[in-house]
Amino acid sequence: MSNTQDLKNLVNYGLVKAHVTMGLIFFIIVALMGFLYSLQLDGIYPFSGIEFLSPGRVRMIHTAGAAYGFLVNMFTGLLYWAVPRFTGYRVLSDALGWFMFIALQAAVLITVIGILFLGQADNVEWGETPWWLDPIIVFWLLLHLIQFGAPLYKASQRGPLYVSGWYISAMLVWTPLVVFMGNLIPRFWAVGSGAGAVQSTFIHDLVGLYVTPVAWGLMYYFVPVIMKKPMWSHGLSLLGFWGLAFFYPMNGVHHFLWSPIPMFAQYSAVFATVAVEFAVTSVLINFMMTLRGSAEQLKYNVPLRYMYTGAIFYWITCFQCAFHVTLTFQKVIHFTDWVTGHAHLIMFGTFGLWVLGMAEYIWPRLFGKETMYSKGLSEGAYWLMAIGVFAMFVDLTAGGLVQGFDWIGLNPWIDSVNFSKPFWYFRSVAGLMMITGLLMYAVNFYKTATAGKSLSAELKSESV
Amino acid sequence: MGKMERFAFVALVAGIIFFLFADFVSWALPMFVLKDIPKKSIMDLAKEAKAKNTTAWSDFKKIAMAYPEQFKKFCEYEEPFSGAKKVSNCTPNEETLAKALAVGHRWYVAEGCWNCHSQMVRPVSNETLRFGIPGVSNHVSYPSEYNNELQAPVLWGTKRVGQDLIREAAVHNLGWQAAHLYKPTSTSPGSVMPGYPWYFEKDSKGRIVPNERGIALLTYIMWLGSWEVKPPKDFRLEAAAK
Repeated sequence: MSNTQDLKNLVNYGLVKAHVTMGLIFFIIVALMGFLYSLQLDGIYPFSGIEFLSPGRVRMIHTAGAAYGFLVNMFTGLLYWAVPRFTGYRVLSDALGWFMFIALQAAVLITVIGILFLGQADNVEWGETPWWLDPIIVFWLLLHLIQFGAPLYKASQRGPLYVSGWYISAMLVWTPLVVFMGNLIPRFWAVGSGAGAVQSTFIHDLVGLYVTPVAWGLMYYFVPVIMKKPMWSHGLSLLGFWGLAFFYPMNGVHHFLWSPIPMFAQYSAVFATVAVEFAVTSVLINFMMTLRGSAEQLKYNVPLRYMYTGAIFYWITCFQCAFHVTLTFQKVIHFTDWVTGHAHLIMFGTFGLWVLGMAEYIWPRLFGKETMYSKGLSEGAYWLMAIGVFAMFVDLTAGGLVQGFDWIGLNPWIDSVNFSKPFWYFRSVAGLMMITGLLMYAVNFYKTATAGKSLSAELKSESV
Repeated sequence: MGKMERFAFVALVAGIIFFLFADFVSWALPMFVLKDIPKKSIMDLAKEAKAKNTTAWSDFKKIAMAYPEQFKKFCEYEEPFSGAKKVSNCTPNEETLAKALAVGHRWYVAEGCWNCHSQMVRPVSNETLRFGIPGVSNHVSYPSEYNNELQAPVLWGTKRVGQDLIREAAVHNLGWQAAHLYKPTSTSPGSVMPGYPWYFEKDSKGRIVPNERGIALLTYIMWLGSWEVKPPKDFRLEAAAK
């Protein structure tokens, strides 16, 4: 009991709850926005003719909201739980934490108003936030750096950091640099092809240098904690981290292959991307070998299952990436739905499932309960989302190939649109599955938080 | 090995040194390679269009002639975010063309047109045959055509649901563009593009015509690729025979 008390003093439960709740709310909102946008492609958009709900604007809320509303909120909440626990030190300041929480929600709200009502989007993919908001986001990320840097720095004075600490330390330094680079350099210092090179580096760095390291850092914390055993190999952990740190930042230009960017930059991006897949595979081997002997836990432990499902999706995405990053594949699949499928598998299938699993693990503990409110809702949500996102991935990948070959064949453009329609209908159905799962997940969260009785993990003991 | 697990080492080597190295290769070096291409302002683009008498210039004059009431309103249009100011000399000239390009570009970005329309013709996959008109405008995208204020950030796009637009000037005329923007299925049956009726209004005779923002947006779209449009081949042959 005293141990729990110590941990309570270490972690600010309020901040974790607030960030995770807002992250979940924004996840539902951005998922609904994505679904709404997909209805336009199905020809049944319900709000056509309304300027403020134009599908083009809704789509930017879907992408920018997923980045700042959903992922940043979720990851920050999980960091407030994990960082103090594995370093043994509190974050810099609780007051700063609450200020940052409010500032983040305000930034997301301003982005939504800016894009929908003021027409203030920025044409940087994944950086659609109005450009005048970007310096404020960079400042927020510097606060984020000192907030979480403080416990990491203190722990590092005492001895070597745990794996999660490396990933998170590097991420804290990278993110403000990346956001500054991607949003402000192409607007004020670079134009044309130079701007294209910066933007493509940004698109990939926000994934590779924010989302990926923070997510792997959390995985290295949560997976051993849940399975109650250490990672299989420390050497592979080192290899995975330094491989990612060296090669990932150079990947970006692969978003604009065959573009007017000088070819040496394109070749370096292709080379670095293929190299990253080796680093990723080393990380995956480490996680799979850690699972060896404990695989039966996947049957009844839903959070752990989310994490390993996400890890497998991660490897599929990266394996796919090693091929489609080549100039040969790009001839066909560039600008097609293949890319959309790839993006959904990595963002929803991997990082989405990971944060949902991690949140489901900590949520009952935040409220002093042993388990989630409903095992049925928990399982149902998992299966709907996992099957939904994989179905969407397969569907869009196939659709992308159809579009790509149709364009090469010089058929009338409208043919490629008509051929895509069945794939788009199916995509909306898969999206509906994912949203249903998400809503079930949210209901389970709400019920767990508000349940009067303490929820026990013991079987058949409750007579509710 | 111990050092590699310390905060300061990770932050310095992975966080800063690796990041700067990658940025040097990925975009600083390309920027040095491209640095001698002059960067054009929007006014330069407008002046160039007039001086070279490109299709952008003739289309802009056509727009002013076709919708005189709305053109007058367009001259008076003010908007804080794009810095559009009232123009006193309300005729098709460099100043009004520059304003139309700036405002049109601003709404092209705001509507997310670039989510479904790319602005880059690649040298592969028969794209030079598909986009533009062979013999009239069929060039692969090259760096200097992007070195202007309207491509900062660049508008290459990541997805094509609709066609590429960087060679659009040669392909469709004003009437088609206006009808397509108002109701895409009217010109392209089967299209999944949404209509943009808020760029249109009814004039005194009850016709549906582009409003002040619509004029700017149409000017911007019809400007795309105008620098690449050459007179058709038979026209050139006739001129040579004379």
